[in-house]
Amino acid sequence: MGWFDRERMDSPLRAMIERKASIAVASVAGCLLAPALLAAIWMAVKPVLQSSPWADLWQDPRTFDALTATLWTSIAASLLAWCSAAYLLRQAFIGGQSGRWLNRLPPLLATPHAAMAIAVTLWIAPTGWLFRLSSPWLTGFDAPPPWATTQDTWGIGLILVLWLKELPFLCWVAATQLHRDDVRRRWHAEYAVALTMGRSPQSAFAEVVWPQLARLMRWPLVAVLAYNMTVVDVALIIGPTAPPTLAVLAWEWLRDADLALNHQGVAAAWLLAALLIAISAVLWATVTRVVTGFPNRQAIGLGWVTLFLVYALAWLALLVGSVSGLWPFPDVWPDHWQANDWLRVTDNLDSVWTTVGLGTLSATLTLLWLVAWLECAPQNWQAVMRPILLAPMVLPPLLWVFGLYQVALWGHWEGAWPGMVVAHAVMAMPYALLALESVYKASDRRLQSVALSLGRHPMTYLLVVKWPLLKRALWSAWAIAFAVSVAQFLPTLYIGAGRFVTVTTEAVAQSAAGQRGLMSAYALLQTVLPLLVFAIAVMMGRPRHFTKDQTWT
Amino acid sequence: MDLGLHVNVTRLGTERDALLAPLAFAVSPGAVCTLMGPSGVGKSSLLAAIAGTLSVVSEGLRPLVFEGTITLNGRRVEALPAYQRGIGLVTQEPLLFPHLTVAENLAFGIAQSSGKAKRAALVAQALQAADLQGYGDADPSRLSGGQRARVALMRALLAEPRALLLDEPFSKLDETLRQHIRDWFFAQVLSRQIPAVLVTHDPSDIADREHLIDLAHAG
Repeated sequence: MGWFDRERMDSPLRAMIERKASIAVASVAGCLLAPALLAAIWMAVKPVLQSSPWADLWQDPRTFDALTATLWTSIAASLLAWCSAAYLLRQAFIGGQSGRWLNRLPPLLATPHAAMAIAVTLWIAPTGWLFRLSSPWLTGFDAPPPWATTQDTWGIGLILVLWLKELPFLCWVAATQLHRDDVRRRWHAEYAVALTMGRSPQSAFAEVVWPQLARLMRWPLVAVLAYNMTVVDVALIIGPTAPPTLAVLAWEWLRDADLALNHQGVAAAWLLAALLIAISAVLWATVTRVVTGFPNRQAIGLGWVTLFLVYALAWLALLVGSVSGLWPFPDVWPDHWQANDWLRVTDNLDSVWTTVGLGTLSATLTLLWLVAWLECAPQNWQAVMRPILLAPMVLPPLLWVFGLYQVALWGHWEGAWPGMVVAHAVMAMPYALLALESVYKASDRRLQSVALSLGRHPMTYLLVVKWPLLKRALWSAWAIAFAVSVAQFLPTLYIGAGRFVTVTTEAVAQSAAGQRGLMSAYALLQTVLPLLVFAIAVMMGRPRHFTKDQTWT
Repeated sequence: MDLGLHVNVTRLGTERDALLAPLAFAVSPGAVCTLMGPSGVGKSSLLAAIAGTLSVVSEGLRPLVFEGTITLNGRRVEALPAYQRGIGLVTQEPLLFPHLTVAENLAFGIAQSSGKAKRAALVAQALQAADLQGYGDADPSRLSGGQRARVALMRALLAEPRALLLDEPFSKLDETLRQHIRDWFFAQVLSRQIPAVLVTHDPSDIADREHLIDLAHAG
């Protein structure tokens, strides 16, 4: 029991000091973060205040085609993800199985984008399983076709990966709402009322539940669109190459030694941000109507089963890819199996330890930051700061990375652990905030009244009652922050000044080098590390098991 | 020294609207003062103001503000934080901490300085007094309504409050149980010689007609 003994000291002064202390903690948590973020944005604005980067950008012959590729792939993937999320959520809700499917999302969320991109490559490449399974009996091929199926100019592969990865994310966001007892009960009651008024389940969902749910999912949709428009690692692995997407071009320009080209890259990133705002505005006004057009099929769970099956096949491809040796073309399974690639990985575990270290430290920092903020900051501060805390999810990572790098340079943090940990924590913050905020605020305040009136210090209430009761949400927010950290590519390379090698940077590098075994091994590690952490979080977050009393009947 | 609880409300409400008319009352040690009145008249808010948990229960929405004095055994307490007032609060819902066993719930309010053995002894004694022997390690959610209400009352008493506030603590109990627990509780208050304030809808809960405040007619 308690860490703080009951205080019987007469001290309104002491209470005042404690209130001041809590405001101070909130200030440190929120108001140190805000200037850092604002400084990062400002650093990214400065280079594009002159006209030359813009002129360079327009005159670059690749800009227009790259922009077209970006718009097409990002909008197509976002809309596909949104529509299929609407479909899956309707299936889960109508089937009364929202918990069953939504609780199983973490493994899908834990699979990083880059790992999924590598897995899809292993399936759809000319030497991939799709062609192996259908050759020669269907296609007639005895050798891999000379087609660019993975880095196709249409960006189909890229769209496929982004779609597959954003779909579980949107469902998870819906789950954070559907897991709230008050919200779920209200929606089910309203849905039941609609049913009694003669609506079919589909139209009851579409007219009563979906409009409310969709409204809450619009910001996450903007995040999805932002991600799709500005993603670099996935586009490097599976995106079109001639020209690549604008984000990849901007990334190349940012890394160039030429300062003018750097600034052209920043201008490109801002162009993406401006387009993001414009497209988001259109989507914002229209997407909540999407669900009504779907066919009324009662095949409950079919969509969900497909989704999980696709992920299982992706993991299988990574597993087989990492241990396959000689593998002649139309054969479905390799002739030889080998462990050399895994031995090379285990020979030098630095990248794994760096990943684990960064993930643990930044997830812990994120959680401490977030809990201090949610606990101590007054409501109106929280309302003001919320958009700023969510900004890293919506603003192009390219801009963040450039701005944070400039801030890090100023503080001599580039290429050092503290800078890296803070950068990862900033990127993980919005996801952890989404995961924790609503549950944290919904905690029963009456228990606080009881604890205080029993004469216990407010800190005892937090340590003995509130946080233990929230442990499941706290652990899962921590695990999500860890997963976000593992998947970081741009901040790791850029702010780490190339001195930090993680499983993600390795996976992308080995994919560029065409090392099938190594890239599969690193992609699998990229998935396994967050999965392990999710498993730990589930274990640690389990509610208390009461020992059954002997005298119990 | 002026023993007992003296409450003097000059204003209780939001920034804009007053919830209660000005009100003053005193409760002597061992007495139970009953507050009655229709729903929404501000009974629970008044108890929260006395307990010092007003900012907790009303955070966010429209914060409630209390102006006035609260004197407990000759000492002004209205400026103290809730945990330093020594005023216990028992509500209609038992609000047992769901992740703690029955014994841990009971021990929650016992001072750390008492020492482990003394705490265990006090808990065992309380379990006996509440007729809950053998339930110490039980999950509180598996107790019956009456058992939970007794644990909540016992937990409040174990914190050794110098005054007790009761917000319809008997209303969820059936008639026979209600009579039994009420009598037991009034006896506890009397033997400990602490002032108590009871909010209720049920005239049969009234302990002492001398100490009755009807909020519907007070303003």
